[in-house]
Amino acid sequence: MKKIPVIAITTLAMIFAASRGGLTPTYAASAQPAAAPAGQASGTDAGAAVFKQHCAVCHGANRQGTPPTFPSLIGVGQRLTPAQEETMIHQGKGIMPAFPQIKGQELASLLHFLNDSDAAPAAKPVAAVQPPSASAIHAAPGTVRAGSALFQQNCAFCHGRDAAGGESGPDLTRSKLVATDRQGTKIAEVVRNGRTDGDKKMPAFKFSDDQIAGLVAFIHDETRKANAKPGGRRGVDVADLQTGNAAAGKQYFEGPGGCTKCHSAAGDLAHVASRYEGLQLEMRMLYPRGAKSTVAVTLPSGEKFDGTLAYRDEFTIGLIDKTGQYRSWPTATVKYSVDSPADAHVAQFPKYTDADIHNLMAYIQTLK
Amino acid sequence: MRLVKNVFSFVAVAAAILAIAPLANAQNLTSAGLLKPTADSWPTYHGDYTGRRHSSLTQITKENVQNLGLAWAFQTNQGAAIKSSPLVVDGVMYFTVPDNVWAVDAHTGHQIWHYEYPPNKGLHIGQRGIGMYKGWLYFMTPDAHMVSLNAKDGTVRWNIVVADVNLGYWTSMAPLIVGNHVLAGVSGDFDNLRGYLKAIDPETGKTQWTWYATEPVGTPNKASGGNTWMTGTYDPELNLIYWGTGNPTPVLKGTPRPGDNLYTCSIVALNPDTGKLAWAFQVSPHDTHDWDAAEVPVLVDADFNGKPRKMLMQASRNGYFFVLDRTNGKSLLTTPFGPVNWSLGIDKQGRPIPNPEKEPAPDGRLIAPDEGGLTNFRSPSFDPKTGLFIVSARPSWSIYFAKPADGTYGWAGADYGVWGKGVIKAIDYKTGKTRWSHEIGQGSSTGVLTTATGVTFTGDAEGNLLALDTANGKTLWHSGTGSQIATSPITYELDGRQYVVTGSGGVLFAWALPDAHR
Repeated sequence: MKKIPVIAITTLAMIFAASRGGLTPTYAASAQPAAAPAGQASGTDAGAAVFKQHCAVCHGANRQGTPPTFPSLIGVGQRLTPAQEETMIHQGKGIMPAFPQIKGQELASLLHFLNDSDAAPAAKPVAAVQPPSASAIHAAPGTVRAGSALFQQNCAFCHGRDAAGGESGPDLTRSKLVATDRQGTKIAEVVRNGRTDGDKKMPAFKFSDDQIAGLVAFIHDETRKANAKPGGRRGVDVADLQTGNAAAGKQYFEGPGGCTKCHSAAGDLAHVASRYEGLQLEMRMLYPRGAKSTVAVTLPSGEKFDGTLAYRDEFTIGLIDKTGQYRSWPTATVKYSVDSPADAHVAQFPKYTDADIHNLMAYIQTLK
Repeated sequence: MRLVKNVFSFVAVAAAILAIAPLANAQNLTSAGLLKPTADSWPTYHGDYTGRRHSSLTQITKENVQNLGLAWAFQTNQGAAIKSSPLVVDGVMYFTVPDNVWAVDAHTGHQIWHYEYPPNKGLHIGQRGIGMYKGWLYFMTPDAHMVSLNAKDGTVRWNIVVADVNLGYWTSMAPLIVGNHVLAGVSGDFDNLRGYLKAIDPETGKTQWTWYATEPVGTPNKASGGNTWMTGTYDPELNLIYWGTGNPTPVLKGTPRPGDNLYTCSIVALNPDTGKLAWAFQVSPHDTHDWDAAEVPVLVDADFNGKPRKMLMQASRNGYFFVLDRTNGKSLLTTPFGPVNWSLGIDKQGRPIPNPEKEPAPDGRLIAPDEGGLTNFRSPSFDPKTGLFIVSARPSWSIYFAKPADGTYGWAGADYGVWGKGVIKAIDYKTGKTRWSHEIGQGSSTGVLTTATGVTFTGDAEGNLLALDTANGKTLWHSGTGSQIATSPITYELDGRQYVVTGSGGVLFAWALPDAHR
């Protein structure tokens, strides 16, 4: 009985502390007071201003410092945690004075600026940072490591932890684009712009040149590692796709597959197996991604337009005519018809057996 | 015994006073507010505990929706697409992208505060939103922490570890608050991980119970996995929570884990106070195609075969639509809602029977649907008036591979989507038949919201926001938003004005009728 009030009081104290936000306070970054002006960004711009006012006189306008007296702060986020940075700012160190007056939003934005490599000054071309590809094999381990960390956070869900394919994203270690990327520029372009051609849905990423150099180095490093284990590597090899019978495939091509309605082995498909191989050939065989559709549009006036289908949703039809001009109309005001030869591939999906596909693949591979 | 009880009630009352005292006039979302959401709120991920995403608001109608216009837009100025369902409580809206939470004025869209979590490892693939209880927010991070924030100013109260990011876990879901429990699920597919659901004390952050979907990793012949990626639903009368569990691991290789692999790819009913399993229904026994059953378990009370029933409905990623009796988990209906070629039929319990010939193989197997499934995280909606279960579907075909060199860890295979298209499908829950389909282009889009006035809000693959007639799927209104819509729409009414909110890329749009049309 005697003990109980003590327990209750202790508990109350703890609850009170909790309700006051006193329990294990952690990083609050850019939490703004409710009174902050609406729309005021808490990003790196504000932090840059704080840096310029208090820090740049010693650490340089571009954070480069004057070593060894005034250390460079580029990449300081990799050496110190935000808590350590905060301590140093508030308490100073050696000849560095303390800045206890930098707190709250000002401190949060400064830490954000220091730790955000997007805010790296002087944008450097990727090639200048780290010549990748062939030379990526010799990329500094730190660059590969940094690239690996960024890849795990942002790319691994689709492309797999080892870049050899994950949920929905292709195996980058077998990618033609990666294989032909000599300066990191091809990979950089895809990362910056994303891929929206066809039904590809890769988002664009706002990474700095340094970050992209890291990704490039990591992807090339993983590709090198994968290529070092021929036969034993995961993913789909050309050799895996050789279980079919070419004669049966020819029969399917000319018979139940209905392929000859549109294709001919000596015509449009001549040498197709020289242009594509393995998984890429099989996927194109199943559905020719990116195949062009054509559209014919008739306006209420009777005027007619035709060209390559460039855009279609429920409300708008767009084409590129033979002069290269893009035109579009509201679907409600025109008559139009779309010709999509690739639709025949979609109609075939429910009809295939897996053996049909393997046989057809065997036959198509003879069209060298 | 009585003494202990008295002490506890004393502490509880004192705690309640102290917790409320500093929050007078603040965002004070109570259990009652969660049980019966008011028209001016959207207090949980699904809007209410049923997961029906159906609103009783009536200002926007089939007749006037053509006048819908922009009320406000909020720019996150971030590369990450908004994938969260915002919460609206006491006129303030809370929404997220990975590592970021915003509080904005739900009338005007101007920022009240912005919280940023420090840089961390863990997958930054998406963030579905937050949970709220009393004046506190619960936010899951890529490195699998739960952070409790003060809803007033975004300051951190506590930060706890829900799972170990170094093992490969991450988190992206919006926690569900049931009574005195914050329910948190975990994500992860690239490692052999044990899936679980945790109940966390809303005040202290202490774990109350943990329910495990699978045996410890390394148990011979047993699957790991069964992660709890998404937010579940709750029936207060039965006092059961319903949760969908993820696929087994290794993902594409079934040989190291023979049998059904319980409780992966399952709908489970748990007691929220103890974490004890009441029943489980497995929608994909022995999955080898990454088709988790994490899609929303929607709770509907209505007639089935002439008898009033407490039902649970799920349009599952594996391509089947399931209707269960949610008191006991028994099947009422199982039917495909699009092309499906991987099963040998339905067993006596209403479960699809996987065809062993369609397991991933070294030379490939053609499979419908693809790995993204016939649907996915996109929320469906149930419209009680028409009895339609409306879902954003994606008929698709793909090829699946697995060979010894792929190993038995994590993904353990490879799969490639060949073709797919987006269709909004309205399924009659009594028959499983599709009553109408609305094509939305070459990709999937957002989730679905229905309202009592017979309007269905959703989107197409090109980023058009669509208002459809719930009865027949015909388009009533649309607006281009400039990017893919990855949030499921929500609605609320403030000061006599009904808002519909959707995200598009890094922008949040609020739509409403102009004054003249209200």
